[in-house]
Amino acid sequence: MTTSTVAGSRAKTPAGPRTGQRPQRTDRSAYWMLAPFVALYVLFVIGPTIYAFILSLFNGSLVRGGLGSFAGLSNYANALQSQDFWSSVWHTLLFTILTTPPLVVLAFFFALLADRATRGRWFFRLAFFAPYVLPSAVLSLIWIWIYTPDSGLASDFLGRIGVTAPGWLGDPNWAMISVAIATVWWTLGFNFVLYLAGLQDIPRELYEAAAIDGAGPIQQIRRITIPLLNRTTTLVAILQVIASLKIFDQIYLMTQGGPNYSTRPALEYIYDESFTNMRIGYGAAVSMLFFILILIASFVWLAIVRQQGRTA
Amino acid sequence: MSTAVSEVPDLRNTKERSTAASYDNRHKTFNRLCTGVLIAFSVLWLVPIFWALDTAVKPNAETTKIPTTWFIENPTLESFRTVLEAGDIWKWYLSSFITSTAVAAGTVLTASMAAYAISRLHFRGRNAVFFFILAGIMIPVQVLIVPLFREFDAVNLLNTYWAVILPQIPTAIAVFIFVQFFNGLPKELEEAARVDGASSWRIYRTIVMPLSRPAVSAVAIFTFVWSWNNLLWPLLVLTNPNLMTIQVGLSSQIGNYGIRYADIMASALLGGLPLLAAFLLFQRNIVEGIAGTGLKG
Amino acid sequence: MAQVDHISSGTDADRTGLSRRRFLQASLLGAGGLSLAGCGTLEAGLAGTPVAPGTVTFWDLFGGGDGARMQQMLQGFTKQYPRLELQHITLSWGNPYYTKLALATIGDQPPDVGVSHASRLPTLHGADLLQELPAQALSKHGLTPDKFNPKALRACTFNGKLFGLPLDTHPFVLFYNTDLCKKAGLLDAQGNLAAMDSPEAFTDALVRGKEASGQWGAVASINNDTATCWRLFQSFYSQLGGQMLQQEGTQVVMDDAKALQVLTFLKDLSGTRKLMPQDVDYAGGIALFANGRSAFYLQGEWEITTFQLAKTPFSMTLFPNVFGGEGGYAVQADFHTLVVPAAGNDDARTDRALTLIRSLLDQSLTWAEGGHVPSWQPVAESSKYRELKPQSNYAAASDAAVIDPPGWYSGSGSNFEVIIGSAVGSVLAGQAEPEAAVRAMRSGLEQYADTPSPV
Repeated sequence: MTTSTVAGSRAKTPAGPRTGQRPQRTDRSAYWMLAPFVALYVLFVIGPTIYAFILSLFNGSLVRGGLGSFAGLSNYANALQSQDFWSSVWHTLLFTILTTPPLVVLAFFFALLADRATRGRWFFRLAFFAPYVLPSAVLSLIWIWIYTPDSGLASDFLGRIGVTAPGWLGDPNWAMISVAIATVWWTLGFNFVLYLAGLQDIPRELYEAAAIDGAGPIQQIRRITIPLLNRTTTLVAILQVIASLKIFDQIYLMTQGGPNYSTRPALEYIYDESFTNMRIGYGAAVSMLFFILILIASFVWLAIVRQQGRTA
Repeated sequence: MSTAVSEVPDLRNTKERSTAASYDNRHKTFNRLCTGVLIAFSVLWLVPIFWALDTAVKPNAETTKIPTTWFIENPTLESFRTVLEAGDIWKWYLSSFITSTAVAAGTVLTASMAAYAISRLHFRGRNAVFFFILAGIMIPVQVLIVPLFREFDAVNLLNTYWAVILPQIPTAIAVFIFVQFFNGLPKELEEAARVDGASSWRIYRTIVMPLSRPAVSAVAIFTFVWSWNNLLWPLLVLTNPNLMTIQVGLSSQIGNYGIRYADIMASALLGGLPLLAAFLLFQRNIVEGIAGTGLKG
Repeated sequence: MAQVDHISSGTDADRTGLSRRRFLQASLLGAGGLSLAGCGTLEAGLAGTPVAPGTVTFWDLFGGGDGARMQQMLQGFTKQYPRLELQHITLSWGNPYYTKLALATIGDQPPDVGVSHASRLPTLHGADLLQELPAQALSKHGLTPDKFNPKALRACTFNGKLFGLPLDTHPFVLFYNTDLCKKAGLLDAQGNLAAMDSPEAFTDALVRGKEASGQWGAVASINNDTATCWRLFQSFYSQLGGQMLQQEGTQVVMDDAKALQVLTFLKDLSGTRKLMPQDVDYAGGIALFANGRSAFYLQGEWEITTFQLAKTPFSMTLFPNVFGGEGGYAVQADFHTLVVPAAGNDDARTDRALTLIRSLLDQSLTWAEGGHVPSWQPVAESSKYRELKPQSNYAAASDAAVIDPPGWYSGSGSNFEVIIGSAVGSVLAGQAEPEAAVRAMRSGLEQYADTPSPV
């Protein structure tokens, strides 16, 4: 970028940090500018992570001070052998599987349509994005009401078209699907905006050139739009997956992990074991295992992004 | 990024883009069909919120009538009055506002300071510190709920705003955003000030930060909204009903009102009102912010 | 990122910036107004001080009909003590309530008075979350031991010290549709239900009830309702003399044969003879009985108000002694107790708490109208209560009450109930065979029994 042209004995400094630069006089003010953030960071991020690891090696209790008896790796062993643990991992994955494809494909579909709209784009953006700003408790209250048997909108609507409504949140076979539907309604707007912005970056000339060659709209989408939006799609999908792995709010609020724990995700399992069952040592071990899961997902993301960067 | 041919005039940001003339007007019918489908879906997307509003304006007894109907026999704002008079929602607004503002301010301040040091100042271990902070992006906050709870219990700070605010401030990604932004700023102004003898703090405060309004507003908005919508952690530390944020307060209502669905919906709508209003006012900025983060590729 | 664009688009930024600034100013003013109003809250939020000293805070888990009745009683309290501020919160029944209570107590800001099922007291007490109720303070408020149902009071006593005061017994009972039972010939000359003291008598009554109703003999909710399934099972199982846990839940002493006997009986009623529906949730069960499509309804007594409002012709009586024989009557129940969560032995706070408790106990008749059997003897032994029909019909249940065995994972709405209740529910729903259900119960319980207790 730009290099300094200030006259004087000061050495030229290129922009940005770079390894192997000439040794400079240490700027003391750097330390105290870093201090507030680093202090909070160590106190509330790094410290607790280390503490969580230590806790996981003991049988700590929420209501007793100290670490409790030493457990070694038995908390980890118990977790890995626990059906409740694996069920909760599966529920998290199921939620991810149920929500990611609609959130990617539908958002793309709507963005495609909106890109072709000549007027009123503000209306579509409003309709799809407004739910996104609602807090999860508001989302849950509204959808619990919609899913109420008999007097709820969902059952009523199905009844009108002659379909027997399922038990929604009270039916173990439908509870996760019900939560997934509410989630798609809630967060689609974000991906929609992202896709719309990406679509608008595609130069119209490409489409016009293709149209001259006789390509219809569907073909244009297939040959031009989708490939050019590859990066966006990957990013949207990865962000979606990583966010879904951390699911807690809606499920806790709408089903409390039920019926009979059939929707309980990993994070709620950690919450239940740590705070309802008061076993914080075990809970810490489970959260460490969960941490590893997120790490793996993040590394997969990095690998994909890096590979895309290479091929671009 | 895009594979635009540089000789062709860039029509991307001009008004002409939004007229049909510049976009494939051979397929007008197809476009109209698309728009029709989109309108249908948009209306569908608006249904839940409007249904909540419809319910809230009914008297409680009407809400459980079967068959369900959009028609309101006796429209009334009674539910809103009930919720507002019960008083809890004001306390929740206050708590959410205080904590989210504090978090946003704290994050912007500490993260930008740290980022300035990393981006502009020379000190030993600069890269190490940067990577040390970046590692934090990997750590999901939810992993920390147990040790953090223990920490705040140990210093008797449970059920205070500090417990909610402090752990949310050190956000590694905010530092990352600021570092990226600062790296892109031209250095002439800073260098000139440096020659004039200005301290780093002075340069940071009077030159770098005023130029960083886009990054500041992006970080401030994201942190504020994320803090406002945070559920799990405040749920654990705020059990005093007088201190609950909107998220915690509303969640404690679930299952509480029995079948007074109008009251429940009024409560929900009032709970979502602040952010909804903010969104309606700042639509363009928020949308541009998302689009402009470079996420789209 | 194209930072240069952002910097150079100065005019746009200014325009939006100005309007945004004005909005921020307006909202800050509004917030300022809010905060002036909430100064106490702000101080409480920053320094952890109590919001309004002298307030009595009360948490319960009573939703629905119970909730409305409790509201009534609390209004009675505020009328009696206009100078005491009351802050009342209702939380979701079950684990959410108990978790919040524990978290609040650990966080040093628990309510002054809380509700607790007696079956949860051992765990709360073991976790040091409850304050002892000193005899002197109790007698000052007239809360002496002789005024309480002895069995209920014993459940609140640990090492001779009192950690809660019982409000009621809420047993599992039998609701019966008087019209349908009359039609089925099940009522005697006085219009009371004939005793059903054996499996055959019970089955026969259900058969006749089904004929009369044209749909079901009896209904007990199954879907998403492990509590009801547990209570039904436990009532029969205890009549057989069976126990589930011992040694604070570390030992599983379930009698497989007895459990199998109960489950086989239940399967016979639901799957084989189709006397009970196999796919019904809580609300559905209420609807079936309220609309006269089932002769009997098996549930706790608290639904009495629902059926009174629905104008169903019904009465209630003790849950039948199907398996107990002579002297072996038992029925699943629990006691609601009022506790003072531990917060540093503040005498003024204890005094406020006991004032509220005394006021609620004095209004036990109102509470009894909601179906519960009062533990407060002055009301329980009064003629007014005895005249309360059908509530007083099953008052004897409090002496035959079997509450959940002590264990850190046991208690009302706990994992223990979910484990058993799910297994029982799967048999009632026809999804599992009794043998498999017994195996599931045993393995589920043993897993917990082997886990070291956190209290």
